[in-house]
Amino acid sequence: MTCADARDLVLAHQRGALTPGEDTAVREHLAACTTCTRVESAERTLTEVLEQRLPQHPAPLALKRRLAAEWPAPPRSRTSFKRFVMPALAAAAVVLALTPLLYHRLVVVPAQRDALVSEAVNDHVRVLLSQRPMDAESSDIHQVKPWFGGRLDFAPVVAFGGDAEFPLRGGAVGYFLDRRAAVFLYSRRLHAVSLFVLRAEGLQWPARRLETSSRGFRVIAWRAGELGYVLVSDVDAGELRTLAAKVMGEPA
Amino acid sequence: MASDQAGDVGSVGREALAYADMLHNLAHYLAGNEPDAQDLVQETYARALRSLHQFTPGTNLKAWLCRILRNTFVSEYRRRRGSPVVGGLDTVDPVPDVADREIDALRKVMADEIETALMSLPEDARAVILLDLEGLTEVEVAEVMGCAVGTVKSRLSRARAALRRRIGDAAR
Repeated sequence: MTCADARDLVLAHQRGALTPGEDTAVREHLAACTTCTRVESAERTLTEVLEQRLPQHPAPLALKRRLAAEWPAPPRSRTSFKRFVMPALAAAAVVLALTPLLYHRLVVVPAQRDALVSEAVNDHVRVLLSQRPMDAESSDIHQVKPWFGGRLDFAPVVAFGGDAEFPLRGGAVGYFLDRRAAVFLYSRRLHAVSLFVLRAEGLQWPARRLETSSRGFRVIAWRAGELGYVLVSDVDAGELRTLAAKVMGEPA
Repeated sequence: MASDQAGDVGSVGREALAYADMLHNLAHYLAGNEPDAQDLVQETYARALRSLHQFTPGTNLKAWLCRILRNTFVSEYRRRRGSPVVGGLDTVDPVPDVADREIDALRKVMADEIETALMSLPEDARAVILLDLEGLTEVEVAEVMGCAVGTVKSRLSRARAALRRRIGDAAR
């Protein structure tokens, strides 16, 4: 493999997009060629710099609202409404009148869940719009977590300290609903991902893992012991699930 | 049937709106100013909505929206700006050597410096760098840019080399 061949393939090599044969050939060439190794290092550094330092210009909220207003909402099927929803609503009305517990589950809980999602998106947007750097700006989880000491009345349990896929950018203390929360900010390429960790006690936290989207942002919320966790970002759903798995310490 | 189609519109719409930040960022770096970026994004969504029937479910919606945005930019904005487009990035010259000081400059570059360096590149160079950074494959970038995959490879390689040099020059 010539230097020109190797340099043409360096980016694909870094992204794991080569065939095993090509990848081996590039590795062998880099091991033997210091000038191409410098090119490889420069490309890697440039990618890191672009991902972590290139200023981002997210859409202003007013623009997002205009777009959401112009894009049609999913319609309700009239056929389904007549055949299924109307009888279901009638039955539900009876049940609701008879059982306050069901009323709580069917009406109060969804409303609280919506409030949680709305709060998460609002807080994420505040993080994005904030001109201030993160209070604890560091990619080292062992610097960020101790920083919360004395600032929160709980210890945020987060095992994932970031990696090349989702580097940690820092942490801060924020307010989530009626209480303080630890805010961890991760990156995924050019996108920011907020992780809120807070005491779930007293909140109607989803019994099972919640995955939803709101105003163009994806939200994943779950509970582990006494703590509630919410991830918010505009990354793809699969990518947010990947990060959620890492935060939860699930095996890849 | 009509209900199913409308349902598809709503479903794609929810997903499409999730790309508003990404599209606005791309528009900002293409147009170079906030008012044009917002107009470009709004027009992109309007065009996407009008041609939603052309979108193939299961294909990359993000790449499809990027293509509409880029085409909108070319047809509506680029003409009146008269700025350089490709700027010699489609050459077949080999990627040049890199000096250690160039890597040092990259490690020290500040956010505003890298933005200035990126904005000094021709539009197509900025576009391929950002689309690649967004995770689009070479095939998808080629579809967005309306060129061959081979052209994307060389254009991306030259664009990144040019960006590295500009950052290095700024650090001197």
